[in-house]
Amino acid sequence: MTRRSTTLTLGMGAVLIYFLFPLFWLVIAATKTTGDLFSTFGLWFAHDFSLFANIRETFTHNHGEYARWMANTLVYATVSALGASALATFAGYGFARYQFRGRSMMLGTVLGTIMVPTTALAIPTYLLFSKAALVNTPWAVILPSLVSPFGLFLMWVYARDAVSDTVLEAARIDGAGELAIFFRVVLRSLGPGFVTVLLFTLVATWNNYFLPLIMLNDPSYYPITVGLASWSAQAVGGSGANADLLACVVTGSLLSIIPLIAAFVLLQRYWQSGLSAGAVKE
Amino acid sequence: MTKRAGYVFVAPFMVFFLLLFLLPLGYAGYLSLFKDQLVGGTVFAGLANYSRALADDQLLHGVLRVGLFFLVQVPVMLLVSLGAALAIDSGLLRAARLFRLGVFLPYAVPSVVAALMWGYLYGPSFGPLAKLGFNPIGDTLMLPSLGNIVTWEFAGYNMIILYAALRTVPAERYEAAAMDGAGPWRTAWFIKIPALRPALLLCLVFSVIGSFQLFAEPKLIQSLAPTVITSSYTPNLYAYSLAFISQQVNYAAAVSFLLGFVILVVSYAVLLTASRSRR
Amino acid sequence: MSRKVSHWRLAAALAASVLALTACSGTDTKTTKSAGPVSQADIDKAMTTPTTLTFWTWVPNIDQEVALFEKKYPAVKVNVVNAGQGADQYTKLRTALKAGSGAPDLAQIEYQYIPTFSITKSLVDLRPYGAEADKSKFVDWTWGQVTGPNGEILAYPQDTGPMGLLYRADIFQKYGIQVPKTWDDFAAAARKLHAADPKVYLTDMAANEAAGWHGLMWQAGSKPYTVSGTTIGLAVNDAASKKVADYWGGLAKAGVISTDPDFTDNWYQGFNQGKYATWITAAWAPAFLGGSAKPTAGKWRAAPMPQWDTKAVAGNWGGSTTAVIQGSKNPIAAAKFAEFLNTDADTTKMFNTVQNFFPASKALLADSSFAGQRNDFFGGQQVNAVFAQISDTVDSAWQWPPFLDQSTKDWTETVGTGLANKADVAAATDQWQQRLTSYAKDQGFTVSAGS
Repeated sequence: MTRRSTTLTLGMGAVLIYFLFPLFWLVIAATKTTGDLFSTFGLWFAHDFSLFANIRETFTHNHGEYARWMANTLVYATVSALGASALATFAGYGFARYQFRGRSMMLGTVLGTIMVPTTALAIPTYLLFSKAALVNTPWAVILPSLVSPFGLFLMWVYARDAVSDTVLEAARIDGAGELAIFFRVVLRSLGPGFVTVLLFTLVATWNNYFLPLIMLNDPSYYPITVGLASWSAQAVGGSGANADLLACVVTGSLLSIIPLIAAFVLLQRYWQSGLSAGAVKE
Repeated sequence: MTKRAGYVFVAPFMVFFLLLFLLPLGYAGYLSLFKDQLVGGTVFAGLANYSRALADDQLLHGVLRVGLFFLVQVPVMLLVSLGAALAIDSGLLRAARLFRLGVFLPYAVPSVVAALMWGYLYGPSFGPLAKLGFNPIGDTLMLPSLGNIVTWEFAGYNMIILYAALRTVPAERYEAAAMDGAGPWRTAWFIKIPALRPALLLCLVFSVIGSFQLFAEPKLIQSLAPTVITSSYTPNLYAYSLAFISQQVNYAAAVSFLLGFVILVVSYAVLLTASRSRR
Repeated sequence: MSRKVSHWRLAAALAASVLALTACSGTDTKTTKSAGPVSQADIDKAMTTPTTLTFWTWVPNIDQEVALFEKKYPAVKVNVVNAGQGADQYTKLRTALKAGSGAPDLAQIEYQYIPTFSITKSLVDLRPYGAEADKSKFVDWTWGQVTGPNGEILAYPQDTGPMGLLYRADIFQKYGIQVPKTWDDFAAAARKLHAADPKVYLTDMAANEAAGWHGLMWQAGSKPYTVSGTTIGLAVNDAASKKVADYWGGLAKAGVISTDPDFTDNWYQGFNQGKYATWITAAWAPAFLGGSAKPTAGKWRAAPMPQWDTKAVAGNWGGSTTAVIQGSKNPIAAAKFAEFLNTDADTTKMFNTVQNFFPASKALLADSSFAGQRNDFFGGQQVNAVFAQISDTVDSAWQWPPFLDQSTKDWTETVGTGLANKADVAAATDQWQQRLTSYAKDQGFTVSAGS
């Protein structure tokens, strides 16, 4: 066995402190009143411990819209992530295991669009969506998130390795149709790749801010990011009566990142093996 | 038969891709050929928007700024990611899993929340950093401060990609190195880093895209330092402000297309340099 | 093989049809209705037909005023939506208007943004719905602000922001400073105060606050924008504007005032920690400050603005209107809602007691229960009375440009930056003028050198 190195552990400890430092602040800040946020030292607890009061206020402010935003985010993120991973898995396998005309052209086009600035698409997408009466509906957030070129890339690479030709040939000799082969034989071995894409598209949609900001007008459709930003804007710019909202913004921020972190911790085993495939290819 | 099956598999993705990606993109391209005025309405402008963008000082400065950002922030971030990945993979670390998760955690934090946290920490009159005697969101330190936020958000993500790649290095190579008497440092330098080349390249290309499209972080920090982060601070911010503040949607589309072209060229240059230096 | 072809054909057909759809159906909302007056019968019918109106506003707790309307007209429901504050809402509104769908029936529009939305013909002329009869109910200059170039009535005034000076009586007393009557007094006090305590500034002239700055230009008699049709006179660097710029630039350069961005956490802390001894602000600010600087309660007082001249003149900063948005399917009900909201005796009073708005209604301004209100945050002073007096001195000739977002942005990047960097602010107004001129030309306006 290798010996453990204390020096290296301490060095990495310093790195870890840097990465956890803002989150540490967030946890501390969530226990403070708005007044204490600014009048007490930022990196330690204030005299009054108001975490529970803050949580209560966060969930009850303005008819409990925070809970509604969390539910929206959950729905948007889950539907988009499942849809995007399914589409990417399907297509990734198709690109990896079949030869057909236009294949490399299509693949090249998809991967090339990763370069396109997202703001370039925002307005045209808005205009197109409004023709289809999709603006200010949940679909306006979900539909664009269904296409993940990066997810396709990952699944394409993954499917090239994870599925062996001999298994495919054997199944074909048995007379199984291509779709049957996919669902019965292939899908299982694509599992880790699927989970990886699922998690990364989940993060992408969970954290999405710009697209829902443009697409949604009605706060009852907001996801948590846009909701928090609107609270934050109300807290600093609104009438003085809203000044106490800042504590809710901080507490709400803390609560909003817990589900994602939990998902990553619980699914660690899957996504790490899924990524390793994508990482070794050029 | 299998040919047709190929289409069946890629069709759902390609249909969505066509409708939600290529169609808006094509529409943006179409828009970029027109000019819409408050007085006089819409007229066909040909390539006038593009020639104007090429001579636009504000756009040029934005591109140079994110170029500088790329040259400084990305190497720093990738060094941190690489170092962390090697350390965690070395087997020399106690509680390696804790480190792996801790460094990766910021990736799960929305940029809205990240900007809120760092915005507070940077706060000139109450933030802990200001107590050390400098203003992180002043004119001179803004770009490094933004770089810090981006590094904080994405170093863990890159680390995970690199770490995952390290796990796929065949064990025989390590055994051979151990037989030659190589210690952990020599193993890292002569075996691991060369094996990471493709993964590093992947990180690098994604960082080109991320840097040149820099938007959310400066946009969210802008309210704290409105005179430092101007509307053309980054090219993407400029396109946004042209479209939403100046009501020049057509010109904004042209600017976005040019930016996409710049990203393409830089990515290609990165790949080319990498494949040259290998030979 | 045949399958492949059909795939592509389908996709291509789909793409072509959507493109065709978008290409030819540009914004067709740009038609003004110049219908004749609407009869009382039409109005009665509209108000008794079940209708839902969508109203975008960021006024907190406006449900209470809306409830009064719904009680009187049970058939009409108003769906209140907070689509964002100020600029955020305008961005959404403009995008929705451009797309031709998704815009509300009514929206809260600040005075300064009315020309920005009327140039695109996005606001419904309220004259056919009897708006002209309401003229006498509103403070004269507010009516001027909602009146379009051809006499259209584009919105109903809701609240206003005539500008005055809020100051910390305790700090003034401690350092022996008199309430400044003129800007010269103010400058002298700024130097004196900062010399006495380097941690305190007489005021913060926020380098991002174009709206407040316009109010100062307004007071100084600047005429930066004169619009007639498609010709616009631009003179954001006229003599009065330069006078203001020189004055504040000089104080900023001397370091005796601060230029921190306003409405940020940092700025709130400035008030709580006593960093700023005054706030040059508007009539909505006393209530605002009461909510956000609670630790300083009782220490503040209100006074009229310092003057350039002997004659008392004031500018305005903020305040909103209610406008009916072009494309509304129920313009009659919408217009009547806007009217009720801003002229009814109960709602206008409620705006003052619940939202702390400073009224645009003449009746309320003259109401002794309003002017006589004592404000504990201001040590029991009758703050409303101070601002009611200022309201009479607001110059009614002021005009806003049809592209205020652009002007605000360019201001921040020229004059605002100049203030923050302690540079030559008067020279920065020339850059502002230059940027705005080329923008206006690019948008197809004929630009003349100003008034």
